[in-house]
Amino acid sequence: MAQRAVIKAEIRTTLGSKDALRLRDKGKLPAIVYGHKKEPVAISFDVHGFVEDLHHGHRLFDTDMGGKTETLLVKDIQYDYLGKNVIHADMVRVDLGETVKVKVSIELRGTSKGSHEGGIIDEHLDHLEIECKVVNIPDVIPIVVKDLDVGDSIHAGDVELPAGAKLLTDPKALLLTCHLVAAAKTTEEAEEEMPAGPEVITEKPAEEEGGEE
Amino acid sequence: MALMPKRVKYRKQQRGKMKGNANRTNFVAFGEYGLQALERHWITGRQIEAGRIAATHFLHREGKVHIRIFPHHSYTAKPLEQRMGKGKAEIAGWVARVKPGTILYEIGGVSEEVAKVALLRVAHKMPVRCRFVTRRHTLA
Repeated sequence: MAQRAVIKAEIRTTLGSKDALRLRDKGKLPAIVYGHKKEPVAISFDVHGFVEDLHHGHRLFDTDMGGKTETLLVKDIQYDYLGKNVIHADMVRVDLGETVKVKVSIELRGTSKGSHEGGIIDEHLDHLEIECKVVNIPDVIPIVVKDLDVGDSIHAGDVELPAGAKLLTDPKALLLTCHLVAAAKTTEEAEEEMPAGPEVITEKPAEEEGGEE
Repeated sequence: MALMPKRVKYRKQQRGKMKGNANRTNFVAFGEYGLQALERHWITGRQIEAGRIAATHFLHREGKVHIRIFPHHSYTAKPLEQRMGKGKAEIAGWVARVKPGTILYEIGGVSEEVAKVALLRVAHKMPVRCRFVTRRHTLA
């Protein structure tokens, strides 16, 4: 992930949700820049270019903010309620030689041995938290699942990380399991399990109810 | 008997309102692909069960289906030709209150093509417009 994208940002002087809405209507994305014990700065930039860069795997941005260029790392992104459009971005100031803590998604490589026997892979965690140099942040952490048989599992500690990266996620954290799919319940079976009606916690016994009258 | 809670504090509830959009349960969290509601509606326990059957029958023991909604809310209805009044009627069913953006079902362990067809079959059983979504692994 060494490649960096360039974006031109404007410093926002007016803040608040209404101002953010007006910016989004104009095709701009409101964002916040913080880190390095400096004052946070509210900025905005072109949303289309930013989303294109994100889709191309860029996480580092050389940002021109009012004539001053800073290197920023995308820390977090907020989406709308449908998860379609980006509505806000958190950017953190970084130096290229700095070590940072980042969450990197995992990517499964190959077809597992268990899936040939009717098993499926359950992904319990889809990312790992690692500590590495800014210039060495990987796009994804590949995990080869070729030898994963039915009943086997892979923990965070078993994953081979890129050189220079340190695992911050608990090494015992469960990442992947391969298991057989249980037969789906038929409607009759599901009905048998369901009670005729729910148990009411606050319901008084029949004797008490009749006693008052 | 359709889906319903095992224990409740009070049996009968007020109908309530469903304002706003889904702020939680609005992203794919368990499987790889999901079915997202685009409208707000009550979804009954029977409809949820019909969706589950549609998906599992199509998948033939492949993959895993996750149901992300549950009918926690009861509603009452008076019998036909009953005069108004005489207190709140008996429970007629249990529903899940769904807002736009809610993920209804998720599927994992199958290819995208298979998941799309399975979730389309589920979508036909739903009283709301739905769309197919995939899990977001990275920021973008």
